Amino acid sequence: MAVNLADLSLPQLEGLKSQLDQEVEFLTSSIGQFKVVQTKYVEAKDSLNVLNQSNKGKELLVPLTSSMYVPGTLNDVEHVLVDVGTGYYVEKNVEDSKAFFKRKIDFLTKQIEKIQPALQEKHAMKQAVIEVMSVKIQQLQQGQQASQMVGSTKA
Amino acid sequence: MAEAIQKKLKAEVEKYAQMQKDVSKSMSARQKLETQLTENNIVKEELDMLDSSNMVYKLIGPVLVKQDVDEAKATVAKRLEYINGEIQRYESLLKEMEKKSEKHREVLSSLQQEFQKAQGLAR
Repeated sequence: MAVNLADLSLPQLEGLKSQLDQEVEFLTSSIGQFKVVQTKYVEAKDSLNVLNQSNKGKELLVPLTSSMYVPGTLNDVEHVLVDVGTGYYVEKNVEDSKAFFKRKIDFLTKQIEKIQPALQEKHAMKQAVIEVMSVKIQQLQQGQQASQMVGSTKA
Repeated sequence: MAEAIQKKLKAEVEKYAQMQKDVSKSMSARQKLETQLTENNIVKEELDMLDSSNMVYKLIGPVLVKQDVDEAKATVAKRLEYINGEIQRYESLLKEMEKKSEKHREVLSSLQQEFQKAQGLAR
């Protein structure tokens, strides 16, 4: 399977480069998405800290829309509903919910760690391809110049 | 002679292109199923960690409906079964398509040779 990059022609290298470009972009956007979701989970986990006994019965404003709020009291500081995916919500106590979010954050960290080396590898490959390409282009230009020189001396 | 072959060749190429389209359609459908499989597996993992003291709600439209943990587990298990079956179905479908395309490619290349030969004779 191993192919010597120097053996490939310029158009082939061009194709390889655009393919690598696509892969790098895909992996980068995947990591970006993972990070966005991870931030959401971190925020959710942090906001659970507000739910403690000392805040029980306190008044708060519940957003009905993004610009309209109604007053309410914090009645239950023990239970929250967590979205576990595909439309299922589970009622969990605060401790379990924190554990849930921690699990999700760890899972995402692991996935990102899995992708990162692949991305670096693709980057290195792309760099190698670009290098070979520039060498080839230089050779091509030198060859052209040489043939021009020959042509002009003949004339 | 050459014209007749050219017509045939054109028809075959069109058929082949249509087949490639079908292949890529099935590919993306399979990929979608793969995503659903992962998602449902994650939900199953979560549900398996629960006991009967936990309440489960199912989002139906804009409403959350209370549901039994066991019922939810059964639904997800059934869904997983279905998705796995579908993936297998697509897998065999794709394999079959691959075989057909292979045959088609052979037909195409032999037709092409025939065409070139005929063209050579015509000249």
